[in-house]
Amino acid sequence: MNEITFVDVAISLALVVLAFGVSRFWKVPVQKEMSLGVLRAFVQLVAVGYALDRIFAIDQIWLIALVMLVMLAVGAREASVRTKKLPGAFWLAFSAMTTGTVVTLAIMLATGLFELKAMVIIPLIGMLVSNSMNAATLTINRLFDNLTENRLAVETSLALGKNWRQASQRFRIQAATAGMVSIFNFMKTVGIVALPGAMTGMILAGKPPLEAALFQLIIGYMLLSAVTLTVVMTLELMVRRFFTPFDQFSPPTRG
Amino acid sequence: MNESRTTLDVTHLSRTIQTNGKQKTIVNDVSFSFTCGTIYSIVGPSGAGKSSLLRLINRLDEPNTGDVIFNGADYRTYSPNELRRHIGYLFQTPYMFPGTIAENVRYAAEDIDDNRVAELLEQVGLSSDMADSEVDNLSGGEKQRVALARLLATKPSVILLDEPTSSLDPTATKGIEKLVRRIAEDRCLIVIMVTHDPQQALRLEGETLLLVKGRLIEHGSSERVINDPQSDEGRRYKDRELT
Repeated sequence: MNEITFVDVAISLALVVLAFGVSRFWKVPVQKEMSLGVLRAFVQLVAVGYALDRIFAIDQIWLIALVMLVMLAVGAREASVRTKKLPGAFWLAFSAMTTGTVVTLAIMLATGLFELKAMVIIPLIGMLVSNSMNAATLTINRLFDNLTENRLAVETSLALGKNWRQASQRFRIQAATAGMVSIFNFMKTVGIVALPGAMTGMILAGKPPLEAALFQLIIGYMLLSAVTLTVVMTLELMVRRFFTPFDQFSPPTRG
Repeated sequence: MNESRTTLDVTHLSRTIQTNGKQKTIVNDVSFSFTCGTIYSIVGPSGAGKSSLLRLINRLDEPNTGDVIFNGADYRTYSPNELRRHIGYLFQTPYMFPGTIAENVRYAAEDIDDNRVAELLEQVGLSSDMADSEVDNLSGGEKQRVALARLLATKPSVILLDEPTSSLDPTATKGIEKLVRRIAEDRCLIVIMVTHDPQQALRLEGETLLLVKGRLIEHGSSERVINDPQSDEGRRYKDRELT
């Protein structure tokens, strides 16, 4: 693919015009959202492009760490918003996502598969954080709903002498499955229904398809690891907040 | 445990909760000694703290003040899980874990064999042939009996029953009452049953505790507390419920 310029982006706006026209013709009232979305995507991506250009040029570990921290904080904030003001959701999501991202990244760096360079690591962090964020959000919401809607089941278990871990087991498993459903679906359909982003990018950049596929596999396994660690950490940190030290059910309330 | 005579004392038990930003005392300085072989009915208007008192005794909730003394020891010296195996709790609506009747009976007593499951089912008036049936198709009364068998499987010394017949028809209600009386007598258990129906307390005989606004107002034989209350609150309760 040739070098992409602002002129190319301007040309691709023809597709936006098409989408705009079609939605208007069919009287689907989305033109306002569409305009806003197009503008927002432009500003955000161009800003990130410029910022990454600078960050890649500086290429310092402290800067990579700082970018990761910002990504995790923004991701955890988004997760806490999506969990409908569950008290402490920010720190819960932040801790779980940090564990999933950092442990996965550390293992990959230790194996030598990736170089510790901003250009390599930051895009990986982006993928890990966004997948971890979705997993944490789904897990938190499902566990909260499961436990609060099944108070009688939980208290029946406790009243029969089971501890908090046993009383919540079924609901923890359901929440874990919900948190991991996206990554499982991804692995099920990858390469068949769609070519994933990293692979597509490499092919477009002129890399051989097999090399791109192998790289995508490594990314897929990294995501699986990060998501699993995030889900497990989320459950461990969250479920205890539903029980007192005396195995009494005391669910938090949404603010 | 069941061989020696079980004792249960609650002393100055209180619990205050926060509702709509206000403090509300739902159990207020309740003291009482329960002895085995007797059925205790807890009656009182709704919101009197009847179920809350049971939850405190089972330690499903924590009291703000007061103690529960079980077999001479502060109940805090038991782990909550161990305590709840001695002091069983039957909820108003029985929850059935997905699976068969036998799996439910074994839920808290995994090591009991098929014979013991059959014995427990017979004890609560269910046919042992039903053991492998799924719980989904059971009636309300049958579910309550399975829940009782599941509770008895842990060999409790105290049974707390929270309005177990409130959603049952008169025939199923009488069946559960008969069963509760038999279990209390046979095994010298302490049975404490919350009921919104003073007639039920009379049918169960034994003793009755009248709670009003979290306070223990009267206690004594069911006949005396229900039909001849000594306090103003007791008379008001009688007038409201029996007329």
